[in-house]
Amino acid sequence: MAQHRVIVVGGGLAGLAASARIAEAGLPVDLFSVVPVKRSHSVCAQGGINACNEVARQQGYSEYEHFDETIYGGDFLADQHPVLEMANWAPRIIDLLDRMGVPFNRTSEGYRDLRLFGGSLFKRTHFSGATTGQQLIYALDEQVRRYESEGQVTKHEFWEFLWPVIEDTAQGQRCVGIVAQDMRTMQVRAFRADAVVMATGGCGLVFGKSTNSIICTGAAAARCFRAGVWYANPEMIQVHPTAIPGADKLRLMSESARGEGGRVWVPRKKGDNRPPRDIPEGERYYFLEERFPAYGNIVPRDIATREIFGICVNDGLGVNGENQVYLDLTHKDPEYLTKKLGGILEIYEKFVGVDPRFEPMKIFPAVHYSMGGLWTSFTKGSYNPETPRTKHKSGTRPPILAEVGQGMQLGALNNAQTNITGLYAFGEVSFAYHGANRLGANALLSCIFDGLFCGVSVANYVRDGAPAKAPAGDLASAGYDRVVAQEQQKVKRWVDSASAGAAEPRTNPYVIGKELGDEMTAACTVVRHQTRLAQCAGKLAELRERHDSATLADGASWSNQALGYARALSDMLVLAEAIAKGATERKESRGAHYRTDFPERDDANFMKTTLAKHQGGTTSLEFIPIDASLILPTARTYGKKDDKATPKPAMAASAS
Amino acid sequence: MSATASSSTHSRPVARPEAKPGRTVRFRVKRCDGPGKPVRWETFAVKPEPGANIISCLQQIAASPVTVDGQKTTPVAWDSGCLEEVCGACTMVINGKTRQSCSCLIDEYAPNEGDEITLEPMSKFPVVRDLWVDRARLFDALKRVKAWVPIDGTYSLGAGPRESAEKSESRYVMSTCMSCGCCLEACPQYQLEENPDKWPASFIGAHAMNQARLFNEHATGAVLKGARLDTLMGEGGVNDCGNAQNCVQVCPKHIPLTESIATIGRSVTIHAIAKWFRG
Amino acid sequence: MPSFIEKNHFLLRRLHSLTGIVPIGVFLIAHLLTNSSIIWGGGALREGFDGAPFKDRGVAYFQEEVAWINTQVPHLLLIEVTLWVSLAFHAILGVYYARSGSANTDRYPYQGNWRYRVQRLSGYLGFLFIFYHVATLRWGWTFLIPGGTEWSFRYSASTLAAALHGSTTGLTTVGVVVSLFYFAGVSLLVFHFANGLWTAAITWGLTISKAAQRRWGYVCAGLGAALMLMAWMSLFGALAVKHDDARRIESQLHHKAAGLAPKAAEIADTN
Ligand SMILES: Cc1cc2nc3c(=O)[nH]c(=O)nc-3n(C[C@H](O)[C@H](O)[C@H](O)COP(=O)(O)OP(=O)(O)OC[C@H]3O[C@@H](n4cnc5c(N)ncnc54)[C@H](O)[C@@H]3O)c2cc1C
Ligand code: SF4
Ligand code: SF4
Ligand code: FES
Repeated sequence: MAQHRVIVVGGGLAGLAASARIAEAGLPVDLFSVVPVKRSHSVCAQGGINACNEVARQQGYSEYEHFDETIYGGDFLADQHPVLEMANWAPRIIDLLDRMGVPFNRTSEGYRDLRLFGGSLFKRTHFSGATTGQQLIYALDEQVRRYESEGQVTKHEFWEFLWPVIEDTAQGQRCVGIVAQDMRTMQVRAFRADAVVMATGGCGLVFGKSTNSIICTGAAAARCFRAGVWYANPEMIQVHPTAIPGADKLRLMSESARGEGGRVWVPRKKGDNRPPRDIPEGERYYFLEERFPAYGNIVPRDIATREIFGICVNDGLGVNGENQVYLDLTHKDPEYLTKKLGGILEIYEKFVGVDPRFEPMKIFPAVHYSMGGLWTSFTKGSYNPETPRTKHKSGTRPPILAEVGQGMQLGALNNAQTNITGLYAFGEVSFAYHGANRLGANALLSCIFDGLFCGVSVANYVRDGAPAKAPAGDLASAGYDRVVAQEQQKVKRWVDSASAGAAEPRTNPYVIGKELGDEMTAACTVVRHQTRLAQCAGKLAELRERHDSATLADGASWSNQALGYARALSDMLVLAEAIAKGATERKESRGAHYRTDFPERDDANFMKTTLAKHQGGTTSLEFIPIDASLILPTARTYGKKDDKATPKPAMAASAS
Repeated sequence: MSATASSSTHSRPVARPEAKPGRTVRFRVKRCDGPGKPVRWETFAVKPEPGANIISCLQQIAASPVTVDGQKTTPVAWDSGCLEEVCGACTMVINGKTRQSCSCLIDEYAPNEGDEITLEPMSKFPVVRDLWVDRARLFDALKRVKAWVPIDGTYSLGAGPRESAEKSESRYVMSTCMSCGCCLEACPQYQLEENPDKWPASFIGAHAMNQARLFNEHATGAVLKGARLDTLMGEGGVNDCGNAQNCVQVCPKHIPLTESIATIGRSVTIHAIAKWFRG
Repeated sequence: MPSFIEKNHFLLRRLHSLTGIVPIGVFLIAHLLTNSSIIWGGGALREGFDGAPFKDRGVAYFQEEVAWINTQVPHLLLIEVTLWVSLAFHAILGVYYARSGSANTDRYPYQGNWRYRVQRLSGYLGFLFIFYHVATLRWGWTFLIPGGTEWSFRYSASTLAAALHGSTTGLTTVGVVVSLFYFAGVSLLVFHFANGLWTAAITWGLTISKAAQRRWGYVCAGLGAALMLMAWMSLFGALAVKHDDARRIESQLHHKAAGLAPKAAEIADTN
């Protein structure tokens, strides 16, 4: 019998954590990544990673409250049991990262330092300067390199995942490998595997400019979607309130800037064009603090984003009449700022040329994260109260103390598995945990949690599931050859279209890509509306049609990046359609999804997962029930005061 | 440490020179279709957007790859990722010096009409195509110095060793190395070596010595200190460093590389003496 | 050879570094100290030269020093052989190592990079110079000396002056060339030593922090400056000496020695 193997596609936090855990379980891993894994998008994460900790615990915080915050923050769209398990595991994950040598910021006594983050009144965010994601991914990269040097992990860097190989069996569809292409040599070939873990991250590039890396096209997810994997909550796209506008990218200014005391404001008077430091305190409008006295500047992202958007677009109060507001740290000690936020302040200084320690930053919202993703299932854990509880009162005794297996059953074969047997989705590419809005510093957690917790499920599946009897290595090659042929056909289509020089804009993939980004940003981000969405659907159809006849300026059969982009664009267009469709069909407002024509949340009809299926070239939607058996939904207001009430300068940071 | 120290001591930065809006900038690009293919130079004219950087200009070129002489050509191939100088992918040689292209602002490099910027691939790594190079050797070096903490496994075993704030800050700075390769590109001792069989005996470079120090200084990581030093004692190790200290000048993360090299030098000295007496 | 170098990489590297300091560096200091006495020796009082001009007293002092070294220092041959072995070792390995680098000061014109480059250049040129210097003045390869004068420790200053001048009568054109070569040679060697001392502290891990490296840099620069001064003093001192004047003083010394120290007189007679 052939030896079992597992493929992990993606070497970000999720993929690396998965590789380490699966390799540790004794299964050889083939790790695929379009970029050297150390350069994955996870390096961009800045602010930190959440976990209940001893200090917060003694102030009344608990894993349970972390869970409750995440559900509330996600506006009651997430399946609840997986979130409970994730929150319960968070402290262990921090400990593990600590053991791996992550240089977390330390207190003077040598304990891990903590900071405040959006959606919580407790300091529960662990961090490494302002480059936490970088430090975490490096730690995992190092562990995987260790397995690599022992021969347990084989890296396939610069290989692009093209398509999953799915077999129809009597028990349903089963994933038995992938087809990938070496983007240097352009070789296309199949790789067999008993299980495939997709950990390919987000899809920010669908929106053109975002806070994401240039590789976050979402194409890998879209390819799975096109191959029959369900995609859930596509419309749930997080727009981060604070980013630096830029020509090629909207660089993030982490929430930690506000967690460390940063204040968002605009001049109170429209058209007040004085330099920020000349505007006296009384003439500044700290609108987040005034409107949300409890949370202040650290309200969750969707809310902060809409407030900033409203201040600029509706009220015309943006700084210098433009779409920008101040994010001000100048009241803090520069030395302190350097220590806690050095990395991100440097980014601002580098790209804007102004030192934010002495000059308020100018920022505006930007597309940041996809809560939606490949649909995954799970097996509920041991905590199953008879009726869901009401929202947890912050700082009070939790109903349960954290234990392994309360939320999800450890090692159940279907944890984080898609609708295709043997095909798993970990990290941002999965839809789990974050509902309609992700809380800051929960993504890194969910990525690593997936890898470590659900990695066990993958190993169990390989040993006890279908591969136990029929290893992929023993299957006939026809199924693989068919997918290879399909992908070679696509390559040929693009190579054949090539002629040097620019294609005309109509059929130029780069132009089509830019138009796609502009359209999606205009129609499917902060505010959405039926008419605009309908228009968007039309535009997408037009772009798809144009892309069908698009041509390349490069027909090289060596390191052809233009081909890679054009091919990914076909997939991004499919994903864009699913996003727009989801936004159209979800006729309510929830979390990041805000419809001006349906401004209220509608739990009766839409406290459901949007499930997108792709078949025969068309995308269809349905809404399926969620697991809401632990917490009852409540109005998600974050204690918002009625608008424009009396100004109150109290900051949430000092409230905790 | 040096990063924090240098940025905290400065006061307000001086304003950057005003760049002419609407100007045209020329990019002279060293091109090569692949290994063994001839090298050629092509020049492109680009109108940079405000705040543009090298990457955004290369994107413009990719969308319309026509040289200044009206010659239709293929898009330039290059490597990039984060676009905020944290992934290290986009390193190239710009106007003769190695640096990240994503953080290289056109307004600074070419503020006037007709200014020219030269782009070349890194010279110490084999070219894949155009500006895209293969830095596998750099990652291989990390394996050679066992740049990891040998933990017992991913199961829960409690917290890691406690560490002073000072210690963790100094490790943090070392740990920000993004494997960009600038320190290797600028190092006069580091040479292009395409044959992986020869990597073990070729100079390992400043980044790997810094990583070795990073893990030697971690309580658990120190378990492998001896093995790391054995590697760095040998050919291609710390003794091959010529102390030109270019590495520390070009490191975008301001990592005190020469301190790391000296620390490894000291460790190796002690290690060698200890070994000699131990047998 | 390469496999031997590979196997003993660490030892060889460190020996290379060490030999640069002991014995070569130490010898350099002693040598320059002696040679520069041709000038500062003038400040010292010499028996029988009390009333003589400053210059003459320097020559006398120098001659006595040189004679002392060549007659009184035990195991001189052993010392010389050790020096030669060390130097050959340092030079051969140095060339082998230097070949592994490629200068790039055109692109990275940092001070440290320049020092790196000059270190290698000074190694090559310095070795050439040492060879010439010793071959001509010690081994008597007179065909390499334009004036054809043989150097003798009994007439140390006069023969040295002749070698530098290119004649016994005064500075000739070839003499200028030789002197310039000396100037470049000694300057580069002093740089090589001082800079090598600075980098050795890093290599051995004595100076680690930037500040320590800077401080040690000042020390090395100071030492380098002092040695440079001595080197130039030696050279210009020797150049300033007139062959005939020096010869007169040296003969005077020999006569005196013949009466006072029989051993030295013996040597004087056999020569
Ligand atoms: C600027 C920024 C700051 C953030 N800060 C925080 C924070 O402070 N806290 C927090 O919790 N979260 C933060 N996030 C979110 C978090 O960084 C991401 O959600 C998380 O890193 C995603 O990790 P991942 O492993 O799922 O995917 P990624 O890190 O995106 O990795 C995807 C991997 O898949 C590979 N891949 C993709 N497509 C293919 C293909 N077709 N073939 C082969 N390989 C492929 C890539 O090469 C890569 O290795 C931030 C996000 C951004 C954009
Ligand atoms: S100090 Fe060493 S590693 Fe750094 S540039 Fe010089 S020779 Fe290279
Ligand atoms: S040490 Fe600095 S220059 Fe070298 S690879 Fe790391 S970040 Fe780049
Ligand atoms: S693209 Fe990541 S460093 Fe430039």
